[in-house]
Amino acid sequence: MSVTAAIYPPLPGITPLTQFFWDGIKQRKLLILQCQNCGHHVHVPRPVCNRCRSLDLQPVEMSGRATLYGYTVVMQAFHPYYTDKIPYTLAVVELVEEPGLRMTTQIVDCPEADLRTGMDVELVWTEVAPEMILPYFRPATRTSGVAS
Amino acid sequence: MNGPRVAAVGVGYSNTGRRLGLTSRQLAVQAATRAMADAGMEPADIDGSTMLCMVAGDADPNLDVVDSMDIAHMLGIGPLNWWNSGALPAYVGPAMQAVAAIKAGFCHTVLTMRVIRQRFSTSEGLEATSNAITYAPDDYQFVQPFGSVNTLLAIAGMPAQRYMDLYGATEEHFGRHVVAQREWASHNPEAIFREPLTLDDYFNARYITKPVRILDCDYPVDSASAVIYTTEERARDFAKKPIFVEAAALSAVQELTFEGLDDIVENSPVHCSKTLWSRTDLKPADIDSVHLYDGFSIIVFQWLEALGFCGRGEAGPFIAEGNTSMGGSLPVNTDGGACNVGRRHGANFCIEAVRQLRGGESGVRQVPDAKAALWTNAVGAFSGAMIMTSE
Repeated sequence: MSVTAAIYPPLPGITPLTQFFWDGIKQRKLLILQCQNCGHHVHVPRPVCNRCRSLDLQPVEMSGRATLYGYTVVMQAFHPYYTDKIPYTLAVVELVEEPGLRMTTQIVDCPEADLRTGMDVELVWTEVAPEMILPYFRPATRTSGVAS
Repeated sequence: MNGPRVAAVGVGYSNTGRRLGLTSRQLAVQAATRAMADAGMEPADIDGSTMLCMVAGDADPNLDVVDSMDIAHMLGIGPLNWWNSGALPAYVGPAMQAVAAIKAGFCHTVLTMRVIRQRFSTSEGLEATSNAITYAPDDYQFVQPFGSVNTLLAIAGMPAQRYMDLYGATEEHFGRHVVAQREWASHNPEAIFREPLTLDDYFNARYITKPVRILDCDYPVDSASAVIYTTEERARDFAKKPIFVEAAALSAVQELTFEGLDDIVENSPVHCSKTLWSRTDLKPADIDSVHLYDGFSIIVFQWLEALGFCGRGEAGPFIAEGNTSMGGSLPVNTDGGACNVGRRHGANFCIEAVRQLRGGESGVRQVPDAKAALWTNAVGAFSGAMIMTSE
């Protein structure tokens, strides 16, 4: 089978620092580094806590609950993978584990007219290509209990 | 600001457009030669050189690059007392470096440049042309695999949508801005797009990423831009009226992807603007013409508010009332902006500010009795701004 950019989105250039994140995804776990000294979450990964400078960070699993911080409905394919997938909703969501803890993702299972900044969303593991899953998000099926 | 006053004494553009058949070195020499001619200056008058030459967008392997020592050699400038290549962001990086180097006494007269060549101008369109698998390096592995495959999705699409949701701004507000800028451009013989636009034209333009339309995007071109700065003492010896650097500021809030900014709407321009105003006695009401980086329309809104020309969330109504249009209370992007003159990564805003303050070079676009102008560049993690005066 020829592996082409029409089948796969850009793949992660994994490094020792980021290996845990992608290993977690294969097990359907959303792992984020957490400082073992002050509890701050650090994403994207850094080898140092940017709040207390501790070097002791460990991956911890997120609940998958979040709110929608920002989004855009993408109308042009800037990569061959997206040629047959536009429009799609690119988003940044804020995970409930800590204010300001955000990750880039897509919103699925949501008509464009229902998209609302601040809405509750939840993680949904999504097969985006053969043997490749990503943590996307969809409108929450239960209330997060967190105001946005 | 400390040190001798610094003035801009020469400005120039290369030929600008797509598929010009000119290399980076040729573009750079064109712009620099025209800036020296504008100043009535010889190569021997220059002892400093700084530039940023890089592609905007994906690099074509055939693109050549030029650097600050290379351009000096080709022009016969030298020996150099000071040089640098690669200052960020965009054009304001080299400009700020030149001002600092002159004030520090490392050199007296500096050629500053932004040279851009890009794949966009040599290929048939924006779509990727290769079907090879791609890998996202470094922090990009947390955005590109998820679909943020072009910077504009995060620099323009998400901020514009969130801005609308926070403040009730409308797509018509963006349209009013685009129409106003095009009106300025229609009177600029150097603009690439000069046909006046209506609001209907705006709404009929295709979306790139909602709410951003193609008309909200600057126009990628091959171009080189040059501005020559010198000391106040030397500035009086050259051909054109010197235009002085009254105040300038840079700001970097984070070194992360656009997606990772603490605030995707209010970021480095807010900090940069505060610093800028702290370095001058001038107030927003003292500024006669404003030249705001418009890589995408939303960025103009961000700068208008950050600089205090209108309140937070009020840029849309401010523009819709006609304030930024020809004849308005705050002329903005009087050259038509990068959406209409082509992507020069900030240099056009400085050059237009200089021309407005010289007077008599802008035809019907001339702002009457312009004495102070402000220009900005970039957004997000880092940006810069400068106030220039005619006296």
